Amino acid sequence: MSNVLRRIEIPIALTIIFTLLQVIPYYFRWESDTKLVDPLDSAAGITSQWVLLVVAWSIFIGVISLIQVHGKTVQKRGKGWYYSIIVLATCIVMTIAGLPFPKELGLGINNPVYTFLFNNVQSPLSATVFATIAFFITSAAYRSFRAKNIEATIVLVAGLLLVMSNAPLFTATVPLIKTIGQWIYDIPNMATNRAVTIGAALGLVALAVRTLLGRERGYLRGGGD
Amino acid sequence: MVDLLVLLGTYAGVFFTLGTFTILYKENPWYQISESTFLGLAVGYGVAQQMLFVRQQWEGQWSKSSIMMFGYLLALLVSIMWYFRFSKKYFYIYRWPLAIIVGTGIGTSLRTVMITQFLDQIRAQALLNLWVPTSIYPTTINNICMFIMTPAVLLYFWFTGADSRPGFMKYVDVLARYVMMAGFGSAFGYTVLTRYSLFIGRAQFLLGIPPNLPEAYPVFIVLSLIMLGTMIGYDLMKKNKPATK
Amino acid sequence: MSFIEKLQNIDRRWLYLLAWIFVLYPLINPLGLPVPIQKESTAWNKAVNDIPDGSVVIFSCMFSIASIPELYPMTIATFSHLLTKNCKIIVATFWADGALVFDQTLLKQFDPAKYGKVYGKDWIDLGYVPGAETAMRAFADDMVNTFPKDYINSQPTGSYEIMKNIKTAKDVDIIVSFESGTPGVGEWLRQWNTPYGTKLIVGCSGVSAPGMAPYLQSGQLSANLPGLTSTAEYELLIKRPALAVAGVDAVSMSHLLVVLLVILGNVGYFATRGRKS
Repeated sequence: MSNVLRRIEIPIALTIIFTLLQVIPYYFRWESDTKLVDPLDSAAGITSQWVLLVVAWSIFIGVISLIQVHGKTVQKRGKGWYYSIIVLATCIVMTIAGLPFPKELGLGINNPVYTFLFNNVQSPLSATVFATIAFFITSAAYRSFRAKNIEATIVLVAGLLLVMSNAPLFTATVPLIKTIGQWIYDIPNMATNRAVTIGAALGLVALAVRTLLGRERGYLRGGGD
Repeated sequence: MVDLLVLLGTYAGVFFTLGTFTILYKENPWYQISESTFLGLAVGYGVAQQMLFVRQQWEGQWSKSSIMMFGYLLALLVSIMWYFRFSKKYFYIYRWPLAIIVGTGIGTSLRTVMITQFLDQIRAQALLNLWVPTSIYPTTINNICMFIMTPAVLLYFWFTGADSRPGFMKYVDVLARYVMMAGFGSAFGYTVLTRYSLFIGRAQFLLGIPPNLPEAYPVFIVLSLIMLGTMIGYDLMKKNKPATK
Repeated sequence: MSFIEKLQNIDRRWLYLLAWIFVLYPLINPLGLPVPIQKESTAWNKAVNDIPDGSVVIFSCMFSIASIPELYPMTIATFSHLLTKNCKIIVATFWADGALVFDQTLLKQFDPAKYGKVYGKDWIDLGYVPGAETAMRAFADDMVNTFPKDYINSQPTGSYEIMKNIKTAKDVDIIVSFESGTPGVGEWLRQWNTPYGTKLIVGCSGVSAPGMAPYLQSGQLSANLPGLTSTAEYELLIKRPALAVAGVDAVSMSHLLVVLLVILGNVGYFATRGRKS
């Protein structure tokens, strides 16, 4: 029995069924005079609601993985184990403070500990982590942005023009900069991104066809099977 | 008089902001404390929102009839399968809810992707008016440029890695590469705007510019001197310490 | 090593210090640089102004807290603009942070009641639903069951007056979304604009702006507000200068620094290259 359940065909079949359940009702619909709702369409609708519950319950995977990894580091007194204590403590406190049940304990998104940590610790941390990239981009632009050949020169010139067109200091002084920057955005940038968008759409369809044929199994890897 | 909790919160925000910025000098304990805190909170905070959703869904349609209750119970049972991820022996069970999610996700996107990202884009490209006598510049010239550039880039992607390429592709390749370079330059320009905007936001917080609390500014000065002082002091100490034989 | 070669190999921490100076100085001493109004902010202002009376608007904060400095100013400016109009606003998001940003940050600084708007009648906050594109599709099909309770009072969504005649995407006139990634404009277009023809305007961070160009040109996206500079222009247009206007001098100075450094780097490169050859 266990060998049957291990077969890769089961999750592939599930993928195919749930994919077709969403796609078919969109293209094949009928309405009768009595306004009976297309049964496949309503099945697709309720399934999309049901699937959200399954997605929501997966949230603890991250917490458990984190506790596993950092718990092991603390246990074995690995390198930087004291930082792992901080990771575990903050994760556990935030998780427990945010749980919306039981209601009587006053936990949840309005819990003072949760809101304090979110507004005053996590918000600044998250914003700052991404803000440091500004410095790295400046350093990279100084060290690596070179007009070594025609293509690099085009990137350089277009990049500088867009940087200047986003700064009122330049656009107020020389309005032509904004005009040229706008042209670069509207024409070559648009052409590139349109090609990328079309390519991405074709890629998604190709991926979907491969998945429906059971040939795409990347998402099922892992576990040593 | 500012509430004590609000003040403590501001001080915490300044501490962790500066702690993260110390990575610009070099890796150091201030940064590692901030990074560890960030990691723990980032993993934990999403639980609140997801669990609230689950609770509200039960209080909504899923408790209204026995068949809906059964559906909710089924979702719960399927969700338990997620956690077989941590079992070596029963890992294969984890794939079942994953397959359901992936299938639904692909199906949901697949319904309209060919219309939204393919047909509508092709239609917009085909409807370009190549002769607008009332506006030779900029409309006609721009439309002609778009008309030539987009297929050039598409053909470049199409024939990348192809075994055989038609003769005209060498000209198309050159044009497509130049167009893409201009596009990447545009991406760089906007990336600079975003990254500096994020930094400016943090700077406004540290300087106490409204609507941020002005109490942040003196703490910013004090903490930055302490953090910078400890890092530079430690470096100088290391430099002056005689090498051990 | 010559001066130019030393400059080429300068410790990057001096560049970081320059960046701090170029950003902090205009924030401490505002330069009052002019902010010319450009086409994006004009189009955005027009798109919001042209929302007809009685329209139903979905207002969505689809960004993480990391993007607050760039997207929060345009969110608050647009929300305040919408509150001056006679329309029904439904706040809903598919990013966990978005609901918290709206509730914990925006509403704490801003009271819709001051604009004469009544919660539950003129506007409602539905909160967050996980599931990205699948959730957006579920929301389009059945708004009340996807968000069974509102975010602020935790009362049944269907009990509010605003939701009496609003059940599906067919009842919605326009989506105003602020986003910094996925799910975002692609998902809105696939699940709302294509099946139901719902109009969409998007405020986005700068990194997402180049990707909006094809949708703008095809007309699938009616307007786009990219980044802090455009937000500052928009704040001036609605006569509500705030965070973005306060920061735009620093944007100018930081961009000046980047331009100068790139030019200096290239001058040094060509000078040393000539010397080496």
